[in-house]
Amino acid sequence: MKKTDFKLRKIFTPTVLAICGVLMLLSLFAGSLVFYAFGSDDSGYAITPVLIILLLAVIGIVLCLWLRRRIVRNDPVMGRFAAERISLKPGGTVRGQRKFGFMTMRWLIMLISFFALIYGVKWLGQGFGNIELPIFACPINQDQLIDSSCYTLAHLNSLVGMSWSEIGIFLGSLLLSIVVLGRFICGFLCPMGLIQDLTHETRQGLKIEGLSLNEKLYQRLKPIKWTLLLLFLGLSFVGGNFCNICPAITVSPALAGFKVSLFLSGFFMIVVIIGSFFKRRFFCNICPLGYLIGLGHRISLFRIKKDGQACTECGACYEACPMGIKTIYTEREKRDVTTADCIMCGECIDKCPENKALAMSFGGVKFYKASRKTFMSGQKKTDQRLKRLIRKREKNESNQ
Amino acid sequence: MSLINNKKDQPEMKHVIKNVIENKCDDHHSSPPTTMAERQRQRFVDKATKVSAKYLRRLAELDGAPAAMQPFFKVLSDIYVDMKNVAKTADTKIVGTYCVMVPDELIYAVGAQPVKLCSGSYTAFAIGDDLVPRDACPLIKAVMGFQAMEVMPIYDDCSLMVVPITCDCKKKMAGMLKERVPTYALHVPTAKSEDSDMEQYVQELYQLIPELEKVTGQTITYQSLAESIDAMGFAQYQMSKFNEHKKNVPALIKGTHAMALMNAFSYMPVAQWSQQLYLLNQELAQRKKDKHYVSKDKQPRIMVTGSPIIFPNIKIPLLIEETGGILVGDETCMGERSLYDPTVVVDQSFDGLMRSLANRYTRPCTCPTFVDNSQRIYRIKQMIADHQVQGVVYHVLRGCLVYDFEYQTLEDELGQLGIPVIRVESDYNEEDIEQLRIRIEAFIELIKLKDLALRPKKPEIAG
Repeated sequence: MKKTDFKLRKIFTPTVLAICGVLMLLSLFAGSLVFYAFGSDDSGYAITPVLIILLLAVIGIVLCLWLRRRIVRNDPVMGRFAAERISLKPGGTVRGQRKFGFMTMRWLIMLISFFALIYGVKWLGQGFGNIELPIFACPINQDQLIDSSCYTLAHLNSLVGMSWSEIGIFLGSLLLSIVVLGRFICGFLCPMGLIQDLTHETRQGLKIEGLSLNEKLYQRLKPIKWTLLLLFLGLSFVGGNFCNICPAITVSPALAGFKVSLFLSGFFMIVVIIGSFFKRRFFCNICPLGYLIGLGHRISLFRIKKDGQACTECGACYEACPMGIKTIYTEREKRDVTTADCIMCGECIDKCPENKALAMSFGGVKFYKASRKTFMSGQKKTDQRLKRLIRKREKNESNQ
Repeated sequence: MSLINNKKDQPEMKHVIKNVIENKCDDHHSSPPTTMAERQRQRFVDKATKVSAKYLRRLAELDGAPAAMQPFFKVLSDIYVDMKNVAKTADTKIVGTYCVMVPDELIYAVGAQPVKLCSGSYTAFAIGDDLVPRDACPLIKAVMGFQAMEVMPIYDDCSLMVVPITCDCKKKMAGMLKERVPTYALHVPTAKSEDSDMEQYVQELYQLIPELEKVTGQTITYQSLAESIDAMGFAQYQMSKFNEHKKNVPALIKGTHAMALMNAFSYMPVAQWSQQLYLLNQELAQRKKDKHYVSKDKQPRIMVTGSPIIFPNIKIPLLIEETGGILVGDETCMGERSLYDPTVVVDQSFDGLMRSLANRYTRPCTCPTFVDNSQRIYRIKQMIADHQVQGVVYHVLRGCLVYDFEYQTLEDELGQLGIPVIRVESDYNEEDIEQLRIRIEAFIELIKLKDLALRPKKPEIAG
């Protein structure tokens, strides 16, 4: 049966890729309307390309699901579960786990950051253009609260023409944000992250099966990451422009009302949305900017700590990790398990059932620790219900 | 209280069993009820119930049993003394399981009742001795003994037995059982370091589902699976609360009672079990408030690990607590291990639930049948720290090789921590009980002396 599963995977991955290819071609035709280039007369709405991208992404997802269902149905073992695996019908959910807590905070911070990075200037009347975060919030949007240094990083040749003070600000803020925030930016602040988490949550809500990657498949994503990194840093030197393929450009300016020609980035964004629907934080796994920030993981102040003895190697953290970091559960000796890939999303700690086995720290202060009690806090309701039930029964008995 | 009632019931029940057996024989052979086999069977039942009743009495006589423990004793006595079936509705099918790798969640999700059939019966062991090789482990002998005698309803009413292929003995046992009852061999990965090992188990579980569905005729749905995961999760929630109570110094409950409670889990519907545990937890919380402890301040805190300790073979925990130690924790598969690790659902899809189940039943499992099992040492070390353990009793059943293999490493590791370890080998009989008593008593005295030798120094330093 292992074989059929491998076969399934072997078929599934190319189909996803093929569908993405078809969608790219489709969107080329869409491009001849209003998709990728705004006319010189500035006609059309800024939001139109976003809607087209969303529509095409939804079509792509539905196509993927339909194809998978066709493949799975013929499988001798899995065929029986074809309906259950793509279940859209409402059913019970597993309630025994914690609902609110650190993750609620993360969602709040992500939402605030998303809107601040898009509408910040409009709301506060003033931005902090001097500070440049290395983040995929498109700097073409002039309303951002904080500027993004991704443009400078993608156009390193423009450094030549800059004044020393500008270079100082660029390098200084880059270094400072790597040390102080590190990839906390990816997990908490990046608008691309929020979009991917939203698509992931949509899938969770619909209870559609995703793609669970293992070690080998994560390894296969690495070449894509290297290529993107090369394009990100080097395209400007050969006369290209990374912004033309950057998926981030499609969101932030359009929502703020800036009309930007999208070129290839629109197609890439469709791939990102479909990818992140099936695989959580798909783009983060291949993000060149995130990789650059991750290089400084040794000196960054946000850290993931582990108590090797308390760990039972249950692998829940690894299952939960959107970046596929295996050392988080295999490491036994080191107390610090921060790696270059870690985006500080805190999922591993959220899902860790062992007391104090995992913790997130900032500058040596552990502010978020794993605990069994909070992990199982979803069961408290059942506990209360049982309490009432027993009391009722005792009352009945005493009455009789 | 229930025990006294049971004693009254006992002759009656035996009579019923006798009738049942007679009927069976009438049907098959139409021979008079006093054939050789018939008398042997009767002797077997008499002896088995007598031994079980004796150990239950010793359990109850061990002072400090909370009142909320009684229902658990009742279950054990129902199964082993009165030879009743599991408390269930009439049309609920029973699925027998072995080891800790069979997901109870799946069995509950198809509407059946899982019963863990690993056995500790001395009498059945004596029967099984003739059926399997001499060096096979006593657990297998006991299981085969019960299977051959056909007197235990929990074995005979099984619609399906799910045997995980773990150690060699279990593997061969699956083959032998297949000749007598419908048996499904569940392949457990031999290693767990690679991702593909766990993914293989997901596939195995997917294949198990149709077999289970055949038993009840119900199909598994997302909702039924989610509900059963929640039900098991609630049992684990109560269990983790119970563990918090167990960490208390001085102890609030005796470890032998805690092991009896875990044994009772094998024969109770999960909802009923967690409800009783909830009551027990409340009583323990009350005890904590009243400072009503079952151990003295300086009683040696002992932990037991190694081969499974299954009722009625509870002589080792009983000996530890009868000779002045207090059993504070156990790392055995009929004890804490079976319910310790929760199912962590990270993906809400049906496949996500299946993955989380496969993950929960392989990766954190400290069963020594896995190739690399260093995590068991970390787990024991953590338990020593959590429960403030002063000595470890390493229990090895004769023929249980996999546990014997791991003794050396554990002894070395714990030697570095300064925790004394004693390896006790035992079999399913009462012949070695005096020898075990002497060894365990000496071990506990040693810890007491060590404690005394360390204690006077403290005031001197302070002064």
